[in-house]
Amino acid sequence: MSTTAAMEMRMESQVASDAVSTETVICLGSWYSDAPADALQPLLQVLREALGDRAASTLIAYPVSDPEAAPWHQDGLSLQPYPSLASIHTLTVQTSAAYLSLHEIMRNHSASCGLLLGAEAHSLSPVAIRGLLDAVHNEQADVALPRYSIGPHDGLINAAILHPLTRALFGVRNAFPMALDLALSNRAVERIAAVAQQQTATGQPDMLLWPTIEAAAAGFSVADVSSGVREIPHPTTADLATILGALTASLFTEIETKASYWQRTRPPVAMHSINDVPDVSLPAPTVSPEETSELIESFRIGYGNLHELWSLVLPPQTLLGLKHLSRLPAETFSMPDTLWVRIVYDFVLAHRLRTINRGHLLGALTPLYLAWVASHIQANSSTENPPETLARAFEADKPYLVSRWRWPDRFNP
Amino acid sequence: MFSQVEDALMDSFSRVLTKLAVFLPGVLALLLAVVLLALVGAALAWGIRSLLTRLRFDERVGERNSAGVSDWAPSHSPSLLISRVVFWMCVALGFAIGVSAYDAAGTSDLAPFIFPYLAHSIGALIILIAGTILARYLSRSVLISAVNARLNYARALSLGVKWLVLIFTAAMVLDHLEIGGRIVEIGFGILFGGMVLALALAFGLGSRDIVARSMERTAEKTTPIDRATERNDTPRSVRHF
Repeated sequence: MSTTAAMEMRMESQVASDAVSTETVICLGSWYSDAPADALQPLLQVLREALGDRAASTLIAYPVSDPEAAPWHQDGLSLQPYPSLASIHTLTVQTSAAYLSLHEIMRNHSASCGLLLGAEAHSLSPVAIRGLLDAVHNEQADVALPRYSIGPHDGLINAAILHPLTRALFGVRNAFPMALDLALSNRAVERIAAVAQQQTATGQPDMLLWPTIEAAAAGFSVADVSSGVREIPHPTTADLATILGALTASLFTEIETKASYWQRTRPPVAMHSINDVPDVSLPAPTVSPEETSELIESFRIGYGNLHELWSLVLPPQTLLGLKHLSRLPAETFSMPDTLWVRIVYDFVLAHRLRTINRGHLLGALTPLYLAWVASHIQANSSTENPPETLARAFEADKPYLVSRWRWPDRFNP
Repeated sequence: MFSQVEDALMDSFSRVLTKLAVFLPGVLALLLAVVLLALVGAALAWGIRSLLTRLRFDERVGERNSAGVSDWAPSHSPSLLISRVVFWMCVALGFAIGVSAYDAAGTSDLAPFIFPYLAHSIGALIILIAGTILARYLSRSVLISAVNARLNYARALSLGVKWLVLIFTAAMVLDHLEIGGRIVEIGFGILFGGMVLALALAFGLGSRDIVARSMERTAEKTTPIDRATERNDTPRSVRHF
């Protein structure tokens, strides 16, 4: 096919796609970059089912590296390639570049709703995708995040730090503040794209963004959409310290940036709940005693070697708590929620004050986090709804963070 | 005889007095130059610090550089670091001017010796400070990485790295100050080589399993296209993310 013929065909397709106004843009993340049509079929099938009548006014954008790639249609779905800006993030989550791409496409088509889909999106149920879109179209939510059904021993960084911290400080009660998929209203996309623009301008297109925190700071409404079981992609690195460091660095920086917001007492962010997909209680897999001992041993090695560093960050009372913890036998190993909350808050403070190099600081958090994981596994069978209990502990101790944030040099036993 | 001794003593005494008379104004000039330049330095440092505070320099550096300049600075404030550098540069300049004034006052062969050595000393001081900071940074990095890799001898490894860098720094400083000559070079070579060998042996013998596992993982790693589930790590019952 000649170049002229290809261009004509592309223009015809463009005209055809513009004939019906586009209300919704579904943007596939960088995982689908240059994906062959066959690889997209399972996802397109799910989308067709999810969109129903909405398919005619929906544009599905997928990333390609070929600037000559043409839009195409299949079974009522309009697909349009867009130049890929983002690379696959280590954590396989959405980055600044993804939000910028979504904003660009939405602006070009004057769409009112955008949906970003992450890796393995074909495992989402059509009802969950419809729920995300309904939250923005019908419930007037600005940011709709899915609530995946995961096992009690899955997503532990989220359970230990991300969810309780965002909930306590920003009043956002979404279960997964760093979701793989999310739907956004036009104004929410604009706001997040503005932040993303700043980051890409400084040469950081792979930075993580926190849409729920942006929504809270802007006074937007959020929605929590039950989404059932979804295949969660593995990070491309197996190094826990790297994963934990990347997530906490991003969240702690966000906390520092929005300090003037969360220091004031505010009501929780208005949240719509859409529960079209029933939550599934996945059974807790059996954790072998060897695995738990391994986690506890990691903490003990940390306690033996990093005590000097921790003492720069943590107050004596917390260090005493860690000392007691290091002496507990594996059978009764249990980290109190209050101790973990203090540790996280003190690390947030040390990150802000740059007490030690930030890379070192976040690296030194890993053994403490593993102690929490071990304790969480031990306690899981005996505690009812552990994430809720922990989130409440974070909320209850928020005055400590506020006080130390304002007066970091004040005596702290 | 006695009169000759007396004349000689008087001559010596007179020469000492003359030297003292020449020396004291020189010292006074040196002190004056140092004090004056220290005052100028303090004023400059204050001005620069105020200006940088007004420009929110610390916050800007913090936003752009999460692990760089601020770790080198006193109280982790880059503006304080800059102001102090300016102050001490003024003091060093005052000292240099004072020495030259002292030299002009009569002792002709001091300046050609002092100035190059002073420059070398400042260079050595900078090497010492940079080496100490680098040693601390690297030892902490190694310590944390080793702890996260669950190495029981993390502290020993970290101390080894720290002392390697410190010894390297000390050798460079002594070489810069031209102290010790070849003894320093040979001593440093033996000590550094010995430590590297000891560390390599300790690390190689102690963590060969970890290295083997790491190499296996690298060899098995495939291109992650969507598709991250293609990578099946060791099945574990706990998922962090």
